[in-house]
Amino acid sequence: MKIDRRGLSNIDWVLPVLVLLICAIGITNLYSAGANLIGVGGGTAPWIKQVYWVGLGLVAMLACLAVDYRLIIRFGYILYGISVLLLLAVLIYGDMTHGSQRWLAVGGFSFQPSELVKLTLVIALIKYVDDRNVGTSFTIPALLIPFIILMIPAFMILKQPDLGTAFFLVLIFISIILFAGIERRSFIKLSIAGMSVLPGLWFIMKDYQKNRLVTFLNPERDPLGTGYHIIQSIIAVGSGGLLGKGYLKGTQSQLKFLPEQQTDFVFSVFAEEWGFLGVLILLILFFSLILWGFHVARRAREFSGVLLAYGMTMIIFWGVFINVGMVLGILPVVGIPLPFMSYGGSCMVVLMMAVGLIMNVSMRRFVLQS
Amino acid sequence: MPSRSSKLNKKDPSDFKMRFIVAGFIMFFAFTILGGRLWYLQVIKGDELRERSENNRIRSQEIRPLRGLIIDSRGMILVDNIASFDIAIIPSEAKDPAFVVSELKRLYEGRNLSYAGSPTLDLGRRRFLPLSLERDVAWEKLALVEASSAMLPGIVVDVVPVRNYTMGPVMAHVLGYVGEISPAELRHPQYRDHRPGAIIGKSGIERAVDHLLMGKSGGEQVEVNVAGQKLNVLAMVDAVPGSNVVTTLDGELQQVCWEAFDGDAGSIVVMNPRDGSILAMVSKPSFDPNLFNRGIKFRDWEAFSSDRMAPFKNRSVASLYPPASLFKLVVAAAALDQGLISAEDTIVCRGTFPFGDRTFRCWRREGHGALNLRQAIVQSCDVFFYTLGLQLGVDTIAEYARAFGLGSLTGIEIAGEKEGLVPTRGWKLQQLREPWQQGETVSVSIGQGFLGATPLQLVRVFASLSNGGMLYKPRILDRIESPQGDLIESFPAEPIGRLPLSAEHIKLLNSAMWGVVNEPRGTGRAAHRKERDVCGKTGTAQVVSMPDDDKSKESEIPYRFRDHALFACSVPCEDPRITVLVVVEHGGHGGSAAAPIAKKVVDWYMKNRPEDPAYAIFSDKGSMEKQP
Repeated sequence: MKIDRRGLSNIDWVLPVLVLLICAIGITNLYSAGANLIGVGGGTAPWIKQVYWVGLGLVAMLACLAVDYRLIIRFGYILYGISVLLLLAVLIYGDMTHGSQRWLAVGGFSFQPSELVKLTLVIALIKYVDDRNVGTSFTIPALLIPFIILMIPAFMILKQPDLGTAFFLVLIFISIILFAGIERRSFIKLSIAGMSVLPGLWFIMKDYQKNRLVTFLNPERDPLGTGYHIIQSIIAVGSGGLLGKGYLKGTQSQLKFLPEQQTDFVFSVFAEEWGFLGVLILLILFFSLILWGFHVARRAREFSGVLLAYGMTMIIFWGVFINVGMVLGILPVVGIPLPFMSYGGSCMVVLMMAVGLIMNVSMRRFVLQS
Repeated sequence: MPSRSSKLNKKDPSDFKMRFIVAGFIMFFAFTILGGRLWYLQVIKGDELRERSENNRIRSQEIRPLRGLIIDSRGMILVDNIASFDIAIIPSEAKDPAFVVSELKRLYEGRNLSYAGSPTLDLGRRRFLPLSLERDVAWEKLALVEASSAMLPGIVVDVVPVRNYTMGPVMAHVLGYVGEISPAELRHPQYRDHRPGAIIGKSGIERAVDHLLMGKSGGEQVEVNVAGQKLNVLAMVDAVPGSNVVTTLDGELQQVCWEAFDGDAGSIVVMNPRDGSILAMVSKPSFDPNLFNRGIKFRDWEAFSSDRMAPFKNRSVASLYPPASLFKLVVAAAALDQGLISAEDTIVCRGTFPFGDRTFRCWRREGHGALNLRQAIVQSCDVFFYTLGLQLGVDTIAEYARAFGLGSLTGIEIAGEKEGLVPTRGWKLQQLREPWQQGETVSVSIGQGFLGATPLQLVRVFASLSNGGMLYKPRILDRIESPQGDLIESFPAEPIGRLPLSAEHIKLLNSAMWGVVNEPRGTGRAAHRKERDVCGKTGTAQVVSMPDDDKSKESEIPYRFRDHALFACSVPCEDPRITVLVVVEHGGHGGSAAAPIAKKVVDWYMKNRPEDPAYAIFSDKGSMEKQP
């Protein structure tokens, strides 16, 4: 696949610059979050590993840039199939941590296929929309196949069990379908049906998941378990105040009151040390990233490009919204990492790929005019 | 490619403008929510939360529930809770837990105290919760630790409730004891809500109704200042105390049984035949369950578990004894019901019973002469029952034994019950892969051979004979009450079947049992009372077969080869209020070793527990007997 020179000269620099800025903040923050951890000794510090992950992510980003996105969409079902197979492998061979099976170890590395599925689900859905006659709105029968495309990985992730990520896939699905267009009457019917099915979810949830949900609704119910984490997180964030306690000076994290402070709760470490102003800047960066993603989507010349850029942007958006909402105690603790900030390779690489795909759409908008 | 893209471009992307405006608006809205929440937490409540995070530390602690009480039927408390003090460490507050513990040990050494905790320190995952180092510590250590708290960051004194068994060893087996949950138990689904370190019932009633007794842990999150003083309770969930269990037991009667039992090992079970309630249940030798309060010391445990007398075993439900001559009533019932014999038919006993190439003997070597069924029971003639047993066959005997509740669990709410054994032809073929021998039927017909029954099963056999034929599930729980005393659940008597006997046959058997105790030739005369109201049956269970010549000199036989003495009786005979079963392991003859013990129990009960006047009025039986 040769890269058109016009494409190359049209590489969108805004996206990588924003992302690297956020990554840099993330690494700085991880250094602080890990600085006080005693007893982790040995091995590379997480913040250094995170630098490697960003590097690897950039390579993945370039790889996603190199191939024409229409070709990627054409192979959408195959990519989707591969990631579903990986999920299956997780269920069979995966490693258990904290009572769930999410990781797949491949030659010294381990990664979470459930992260990859976020991308391939979007691509497969676009492939389906693309193959249909464009422009016609979805009706209920037409939604059957997309629904199956959603449910296969969602169900497998639920089995791991990882309620948060499964729910995440549902959110992405809804975001795509609503944007692609749905017939008004079908939309109303489905909304009603969805509302009535929701309580049924309660029965398939594991005990610890129910616990988290109930604790979220009333954190004081369980001051020793999950509620402890929520309360501590809120104290950490709030104690940051307007200007923060200063870098490396967060007392909540010093005293290790915060749980998972390098992964799901990195945001509270940042908020404690940098205060409202720091957080405001971070949120503005995320918001800009998302708006720029929309900007790219809007300028795309064809429907699949619009959807691809939009879908990838929504993956970033939901990650930010759910994670920050959880840390601030307005959403349940579901274990969704903060994009580009939380420690972890799979998440970083996959999100970099998402950014690569948005850039891909952006740089090929002129090529397509020919 | 171009053709494809033109197809895709049918729709004008400007149509999406509206969708992007909507999507953008939603994004803006979402970020506004996050920003607003941050403003609220950081700017509006910022100072308050900062104060909280900087000046104070937050400490979480579990509030342990009080375990439910166990109470006897007359309101006497059998188990309650008392306070004990633990020295614990909160790992997240001790910068270096291992160092702090070594400081603690050093402090002890200075005062010539020894550290009693585990040598290894397993901090676990929830580092913000206190972890017990030493349990049930004395005041000397507590005072030392409190005085040196500044040197021992993270070390706290934890007050925990422990079990107090008011009757100690007297009721140890029935009540059971509690202890820390083991790793194996933690994996068991029954205990999935428990955390490591939880205290659970390990045996007896404590274990059988653990779920009712245990209650529910609460927790609190408190702010403490640098000195560890509690400033403010942030969140608190009260512990829910466990329910109280009211048993059918009679604590005083239990004490009487305990004192009456003068053998080394054995069991006494007292049942109310009218509804199957257990009034007393003694097993000897015993142990003091208070030792288990906070984890028994290793040396004590060693001593107990290596004891050949097995003091932990609840013999009343978990030891199997040959029912011996007690079983003759089952064989007699089978023969009567099958029409094999009538009350008048006689069989002649010459003291021996040649069978195949063996000769079985009657316990009375000179023989009993001609006997009818009633006389055979009174004098406990072996030859009579050899004859009946052979005619019945082992499978028919087994059928009746099962109808009397032998060979299956009674279902009593005490952990560790055994089901016993009632042999049949099929059983032997399946288990031992050998065909049944007729000679084995001869042994079974006097309650020996493969037969095995628990004292609880045996007492129920006699209770059901004396109440007119109703077999009850043994009842040890009367009701469950809330800590405030409100009734939660009550357990009425549970009839589970009727004996397959006519009223006339039951009457005959009871009359024979009256003869056992009250007639000149009866084997149970040691239980005779001047009221002449006891009916019973003796049993002497062979442990090993001894040459006949040695039989007479009981005291010269080594202890472990001596016969078990058994005695079962019901009082008063016409409408019994209690049925007592006594087993004295290696005690010798049932009539001489077991019957006197039963008599002491009966005497005390009849003197101190008068009949409930309401019974005579409301019960059919009572009112009938009042008629002239």
